[in-house]
Amino acid sequence: MTETPLPPSARSTRWTCPFCVLLCDDLSVRENPVGNGFELAAGTCAPAEAGLAQFGTAPSAATPRVDGRPCPLDDAVAAAARALVASRQPLFGGLGTDVAGARALYRLACDTGAICDPADGDALMHGVRALQDRGGFTTTLAEVRNRADLIVCVGGLPFGPRADFFRRCGLGEATVAQRHVVVLGGSANDEAALAALTGRGVTTESVSMQGGDLFSTVALLAAVLADRQVGAVPPQLATLAERLRAARYSVIVAETPRLPEHGALLIETIDRIVATLNLATRSGALWLGGGDGAGTVNQVFTWLSGLPLRSRAGPAGLEHEPLCFDAQRLIDDAAVDSLLWVSCFDAGCVPPPTDLPLIVLGHPGLAAPAGRTGTVFVPVSTPGVGSAGHLFRGDGGAVLPLVPLYRDTLPELADVLVRLTQAVKSLRTEASA
Amino acid sequence: MTRLRLRGGRVVDPTQPADDVRDLCVQDGRIVTIDPREPVDEEIDADGCVVMAGGIDLHTHIGGGKINLARLLMPEDHRTRGNPIALPENPLELASCGGCVPGTLATGYRYVEMGYTAAFEPAMIASNARHAHMEMGDTPILDHGAYVMLGNDELFLQLLAEGGASGRNFETIRDYMGWTIHATKAMGVKVVNPAGISAFKFNQRKLDVDENHVHWQVTPRQVVHTLARALRELGVPHPLHIHGSNLGSAGNIESTLQTIQALEGLPGHLTHIQFHAYGVEGPKKFSSAARQLAEAVNANPNISIDVGQIMFGQTVTASGDTMRQHAQSGLANPRKWIGGDIECEAGCGVVPFKYREQSYVNALQWVIGLEIFLLVDDPWRVVLTTDHPNGGPFTSYPHLIRLLMDRSFREEQLAKLHPDVATNCALRSITRELTLREIAIMTRAAPARLLGLVDRGHLAPGAAADIAVYREQADREAMFTTPEHVFKDGTLVARAGRITAVPVGGTHFVEPDYDRAIEKTLRAHLAAHGSVNFDHIAIGHDDLCRCCNGGRLLPAACFEGAT
Repeated sequence: MTETPLPPSARSTRWTCPFCVLLCDDLSVRENPVGNGFELAAGTCAPAEAGLAQFGTAPSAATPRVDGRPCPLDDAVAAAARALVASRQPLFGGLGTDVAGARALYRLACDTGAICDPADGDALMHGVRALQDRGGFTTTLAEVRNRADLIVCVGGLPFGPRADFFRRCGLGEATVAQRHVVVLGGSANDEAALAALTGRGVTTESVSMQGGDLFSTVALLAAVLADRQVGAVPPQLATLAERLRAARYSVIVAETPRLPEHGALLIETIDRIVATLNLATRSGALWLGGGDGAGTVNQVFTWLSGLPLRSRAGPAGLEHEPLCFDAQRLIDDAAVDSLLWVSCFDAGCVPPPTDLPLIVLGHPGLAAPAGRTGTVFVPVSTPGVGSAGHLFRGDGGAVLPLVPLYRDTLPELADVLVRLTQAVKSLRTEASA
Repeated sequence: MTRLRLRGGRVVDPTQPADDVRDLCVQDGRIVTIDPREPVDEEIDADGCVVMAGGIDLHTHIGGGKINLARLLMPEDHRTRGNPIALPENPLELASCGGCVPGTLATGYRYVEMGYTAAFEPAMIASNARHAHMEMGDTPILDHGAYVMLGNDELFLQLLAEGGASGRNFETIRDYMGWTIHATKAMGVKVVNPAGISAFKFNQRKLDVDENHVHWQVTPRQVVHTLARALRELGVPHPLHIHGSNLGSAGNIESTLQTIQALEGLPGHLTHIQFHAYGVEGPKKFSSAARQLAEAVNANPNISIDVGQIMFGQTVTASGDTMRQHAQSGLANPRKWIGGDIECEAGCGVVPFKYREQSYVNALQWVIGLEIFLLVDDPWRVVLTTDHPNGGPFTSYPHLIRLLMDRSFREEQLAKLHPDVATNCALRSITRELTLREIAIMTRAAPARLLGLVDRGHLAPGAAADIAVYREQADREAMFTTPEHVFKDGTLVARAGRITAVPVGGTHFVEPDYDRAIEKTLRAHLAAHGSVNFDHIAIGHDDLCRCCNGGRLLPAACFEGAT
């Protein structure tokens, strides 16, 4: 393992934020005035602030636990291995980790035949299923910054009013002289935030949904753009269609976790809109999702196995079931008999309520949800806070290195998983001897 | 200090004067000379076998964003007749599946089982470089490397445009190229549809070699020449890797010949050239220009090619050429495709495709690829590829080898094609059958030489002990499908089609010298136009190690540049 140089504690340091999919890497972090935590040295960003608030300035002294009682790491690993070996169908959930964690997790998933589904797997599957059915045409942050003269936010402003999204899009910069930002189906808060974006070459507009339904609104827009006969079109939507046709480079953006149930259908329709526009002008979709490591783990599992998440190396072979391998459904149906939960970035990402044997590997703050009998808890380091790591940005292309804010005493997830995988193998060997 | 002797095989090493039957010895991962009377730790009977260096694929899309998109697009490729693909019985293998776009694990296993020991990803996007290295690091056993894409990034085009006809900005461009290679840990540079990917972002739909990019007002000719010259001056061994203009279009032979002219004698490697060798003759205005192409290659010793042979069946094409992939997306089979504009530097287009024997165009594409293989005189400038997965999966190489070595087999296959093609093509009259030595050149020795890998692709003393031992068989497809033994750096990694060890492969890259002052320009450019902090772009050696799963770093030497 290579040593990563650590910042002197008193000054602010450049930092890459692992707490949302934009992975802003131009932030500075410093100790807060009280000295008990970190804060942004400049600017505000709700996800970054909430993420940092989960950490002190020094490594956590949390210890592993079995059945809620502190124990050495070896004992916790041994207990977790026993639970996995005893399980006929494990479920790996949460999946909040980085590339190194995902690589190690895949080996354990292969060895145990576990089904793997990230927290909020439905949101990830919106994009995966639309891609499998139709494909799509996407763009990335630098393209948006340099080209987009029309940005249409579907279902609300990405990351809410206090996030850094529009700064990352270059709004108000001279790269694009005049931009128009539209929110389609936004909230009252979004409309207020839009007003704040206006000026410096930026105009804004809020377009309401047809009958309060995003699906029919987007479908109608697609039909108008495809020159289908659709009867009377609400003026706002007709104007939006004209703007899309006239734009040199339009971007349609949505935060996939905020899309409603059956969001894959929305993505599919928007992909169709983008395809129609690309016949005559230029357009791209920007799907922002896969936060807390879910998108990263999906990338890693896809390249290793050939299949995305909601898959398992089961008795029949490698299976991918984007509907049936929904973690909550599996738990509700008693189709799994153990749960291994990973959440390195978010102490609030707790495992679903269950009486199943439970192994939690994650942020020290997850000790409480893993405190009952039949649980193993191993606190692990958070990439980008206590250790180095790599995450995929939400637009899919860029992988950014994460640098730690302090040198952790907690182990990295990958190290724990390697030990756990070895322990599982040893138990199996003993059992067959 | 383990010593191994492969006894009595026919050693086919095109760098040696003759393919003698002799012993080949290995010590500490290298080929050595050991007196036949001296004892060794292990002796393997290679009587009746052909011994070659491990295969090297210099153009195969094995890692990075677009190939992972292809996997996501094609879950149906990852089943067999509707059933899940069975888990490996071999405990050394982890579960991994896929036909035309397998997972990285399966990619490594299947390559090695065929006797290949190195593979190079040809289309690494700078902003996606870590991802590409990660996938290659998770491709077991194979050594690997990648060519970084330039020539569609807005900074390059801007520098070229602002430098004017006199090439005022050439040195800046050269240093920018040097920095990009350094930052992404690349083995070479590739240009894809020169200026065309960018032009598509400005809504341009076609770009000929002497046509201006609608915004930057530079031509593909200028782009190709500038990149080739810069690469030459940086001393990078691998010539500019060129995916030319107008891929897949009838009549694109003109663009290809113009691209060769644009190089003005500078080294250039024209990749998947089959897709760029089409004429406009005949009733369907689509014809083979293989002969014209071969004549040009034969006449220009600065040119090397790989073929990008198509194979019939399902595949998925994955390319950086957004402009051309968008244009051809209507042919997608199944009907779905992925495109993307990427970070003001590149793009991607992933289009599933089914090549059919009874399709006139597909049949002709198949013919054109074979004609090129057989009409170019110098095998040292031809590399055997299918442009995996674009022309077909790499697992079809043994079949391709048989087509090239066995005329009667070739004619049997030809007879199955669209009758107009089968009856009229020039391939029918080509009698050439490639020899084992020529196959060894096209699959090992030539790619190693074109990449500047001095200790790979041959079996002279001092070379790395990457070795494939094939049982001599008249059926060359069977012979090249399952070598008896495959060694990687002296370790037995496959025995009769079964993986026996899974070391992590090494990463080849070059580290050209360049003027570090360029970083100031790049820092300013990225601050104004980028989406990543300049300080986070360059991949250091430690970071590369983490990305590549801890494999060895294998920096290749540059030659003395012209500067």
